[in-house]
Amino acid sequence: MTQQGHATPADDQLKWRDANFAAGRLPVHLVAFVQAGVAPILGVRGMNGRPLVGSGVACRVREMSLVRLFADCARNAMLLEAIEAGSAVAATFSRARDHRSIQLKASSARLREPEAEDLPEIARQCAALADELINLGYTRAQALAYTAFDPDGLAVVEFRPKRIFTQTPGPGAGAELLR
Amino acid sequence: MSVAGLRALRGAMEGIAASLLCTCDGEGQPNVSMISQVHWVDDDHVALSWQFFNKTRLNLLATGQASVELFDPVSHARHRLQLDHVETRTTGPLFEMMKARLAGIASHHGLEGVFRLLGADVFRVVSIEQLSAPAASMEQSCHPLLSAVRSCIDELVCCRDFDDLADTLLDGVARHLRIGHAILLMAEGDGRLFAIGSRGYAASGVGAEILSGEGVIGVAAREGVPIRIGHLSADYRYGAALGVAAREAGLLADTACGVPFPGLGDPHSQIAVPVLSAGRVLGVLFCESAEIMRFDHEHEDALTILAGYFGALATLLGEDDTRATESPAPPTAAQAGLVTVRHYSRDDSVFLNNDYLIKGVAGAILWRLLRQNAETGRTVFSKRELRLDRSLKLPDHAENLDARLVLLRRRLDERDACLRIGKSGRGQFQLIAACQIALIEMGDDGASPSSSPAAS
Repeated sequence: MTQQGHATPADDQLKWRDANFAAGRLPVHLVAFVQAGVAPILGVRGMNGRPLVGSGVACRVREMSLVRLFADCARNAMLLEAIEAGSAVAATFSRARDHRSIQLKASSARLREPEAEDLPEIARQCAALADELINLGYTRAQALAYTAFDPDGLAVVEFRPKRIFTQTPGPGAGAELLR
Repeated sequence: MSVAGLRALRGAMEGIAASLLCTCDGEGQPNVSMISQVHWVDDDHVALSWQFFNKTRLNLLATGQASVELFDPVSHARHRLQLDHVETRTTGPLFEMMKARLAGIASHHGLEGVFRLLGADVFRVVSIEQLSAPAASMEQSCHPLLSAVRSCIDELVCCRDFDDLADTLLDGVARHLRIGHAILLMAEGDGRLFAIGSRGYAASGVGAEILSGEGVIGVAAREGVPIRIGHLSADYRYGAALGVAAREAGLLADTACGVPFPGLGDPHSQIAVPVLSAGRVLGVLFCESAEIMRFDHEHEDALTILAGYFGALATLLGEDDTRATESPAPPTAAQAGLVTVRHYSRDDSVFLNNDYLIKGVAGAILWRLLRQNAETGRTVFSKRELRLDRSLKLPDHAENLDARLVLLRRRLDERDACLRIGKSGRGQFQLIAACQIALIEMGDDGASPSSSPAAS
């Protein structure tokens, strides 16, 4: 497997500080990052009060503020149920090649149906992730299995992030990115 | 929860694919991250690596609950575990196993110095949920390990002495388990280990020493558990640093002596399993490979079974010295030339002329045999008399003596020395000298205060 160095929390903080973006909007670099084919991880508080982890397949951001995270319904049925019931959500986006990781949090999210125009973009992001995994040493079969999705079985978890954190490993990991 | 289910998920815990972790704080706000290591502990428990004081840590302390998603790189199945925190271990076997694995993972990802194990968080597995079924047909191994282990054991149980046992174990690992590089080491009473045989290296390395706690071998011996890494890690490499550490610890003589460790220069996968018998660590079976992730849970199981058999048989054979002799008397050799044998009492190192031969208990044994030979002319000795000789500081277990005699014999054979140790019936052995021998006892400061008359 190829080792390609790693990002640092300080990198995230510098990018955030230097970015120029309006209140209520996300910086361009962050929007580009979450749409680049980085596997989203989703977390909620389940109906029984316990934490519940799941995985998404792709992400799109609308109007630089509305995060639309695509998740397999069958794989994430309990998560989706919890979101519908009003759970807070957390989504972490982690780039395999350098471990750059950003976490978005919101007090609630809404469930939507994907739109027709979403599918080509979801496929593009999954293909990009599969390519990256292969570059890192995954077999083609593993990479394709990891990024596979059922286009007819997706839900959209839609939320506006209230708090954003750097999750990149290293000193400062977990720090909130504040305006 | 299905007990078989958790064991069946070990393949998803090899660390090939990162696992996902979610915790919640006291108000129910979730926090999600990748997790470097999910470690299979037993049928009911896993352990997660705790590396940072972060939100995940705070949440765990607050609620004690976590949720983990695993991806199996072979079957491609996904599972979710619900976990309840039981305890955090910051020392001990589990901690050391995870620390070694994490060091390999960190090295592989270029994160050495960033990933550091602070603790092993042990969790009870409350539930297992299959999120997606195995999509790939489970590849049938073209070389089933269980069958390979059986072939090894079939051969081990036919061995009649420790020498044969050690060779058969290493041959079996190479031939049946198809592991190209293996070293068998036995433990000294002070925790050091010395190699008594190897396969797959240019030099056998017989006599090479490893310190307790040094590399995967030393940690496996100290903790009595298998240590396995899938990626090269500077923290667990053997080499020049070992010698420096040993000298600093006063465990090696300052004189440049010793046998180089025979390991690979660029190993990516290493596994060390302790040889246990009656709860004691007799030694370590070590395997390595230039491939990444060469050894998985199944290899760990297979090697642990073999090491256990080896330990039990070594103990049994060592206790069975009184059976009738079967070996013929070794041939006597014509004596020619003179070899000076020097003994340094501070570490019992022995030199033939100016060349290092051996040290430690094996060195003390050789020196005792040579002195008795010089004083009385005896050439045949019994293991029993060596065991009863307290000056040798031999641990009270039979296989320790066997291992040292094997080490001594192999070092002499490899050196093509004029001295040999030959078998002379069960429980006995013979010192064979094909030359005149002069003995010199060196003082602690390296001076030579006493010379014994030439012996033969």
